[in-house]
Amino acid sequence: MKKSFLFVIAGALWIAGYSQFSKASLQASGLTCSMCSKAVKVALEKVSFVQEVKVNIKNQEYSIVFKENSKTDFDELKKAVEDAGFSVASLKVTGNFSDVKAEKDKHIQLDGKNFHFVNSSNKVLNGEQTFTIVDKDFLSAKDYKKYSAATKMECIKTGKAGECCVKDGIHSEERVYHVII
Amino acid sequence: MKNLNTLILSFVFVLAASSANAQGPTPNITDSRLDFTVTSLKGDSIKLSSLKGKVVLLDFWASWCVPCRFSNKYLVKLYNKYKDKGLEILGVSLDDEVSDWKKAVAKDKITWMQGIDLGGWDALAAVKWQVDALPSSFLINKKGDVVAINLDRDELEKKIKELLGL
Repeated sequence: MKKSFLFVIAGALWIAGYSQFSKASLQASGLTCSMCSKAVKVALEKVSFVQEVKVNIKNQEYSIVFKENSKTDFDELKKAVEDAGFSVASLKVTGNFSDVKAEKDKHIQLDGKNFHFVNSSNKVLNGEQTFTIVDKDFLSAKDYKKYSAATKMECIKTGKAGECCVKDGIHSEERVYHVII
Repeated sequence: MKNLNTLILSFVFVLAASSANAQGPTPNITDSRLDFTVTSLKGDSIKLSSLKGKVVLLDFWASWCVPCRFSNKYLVKLYNKYKDKGLEILGVSLDDEVSDWKKAVAKDKITWMQGIDLGGWDALAAVKWQVDALPSSFLINKKGDVVAINLDRDELEKKIKELLGL
């Protein structure tokens, strides 16, 4: 009897969604040639959940592999780049998902983080998926303007759930990453 | 251990290069911690320490580094002016692709020694010389001592003339 009860709980957890981010690709920008400095690479390598950073000259980006089963925090990547004297021009994060429903302007929790899909058309995400983060300072000011106009919700300006999102069960002070697929 | 060595080396570097009244030994290209071998455009080996006896500008660059390409224009003039008087330039490319490097060498009309040590920032030559930004250049006297780092154009020419006894 006890055994079957445990089994049911485990099953329920599985249905609630498996999600784990595994890697990212990041572009840095600045006043000088950002790729000409080792500083961004070194700063990213020091981030606790980063396993490996490779410089991809062709695409002018850093390919970052995360440590397996580590807690990822995309704001930390941004901070590392900024502390090195540059800014993030683009951050695309890739993860593995199973049966994650991505509805436009809905907030969902994935891998311990809140996400707001700015452009999704009720897709169900399965397998490897890549999101582009469109929060302020994760892309050029011009692109940010474009994406922030795509939703009327206040949270895209603050990156915090705020009052508009508490109905999804998220505390108003919690970080929400705004992404496009 | 390797990390400790580089730490000590960088400390020596800072001491020796930034101060005219340097204390401690001057870094020399015959030191195994600084010496390296790179592959030339033709595929031969170039060993840095074999250049001892000449005034050498060791120049780290890459085809994708716009400021380096800009600097190449100036280096072409500098090299043509002093190559017959004993100046040698060894350009070390941090390119990942040999073809990108060769294309840039041709386009910028580079005639000085060129070497590559594939691996980008992690190329052994770049690691040994603690290169953390491009371009980076080191001026080496006839004895093989590293006497200056990243001089601007005016200072560089002045120092080269001095080292060549002109």
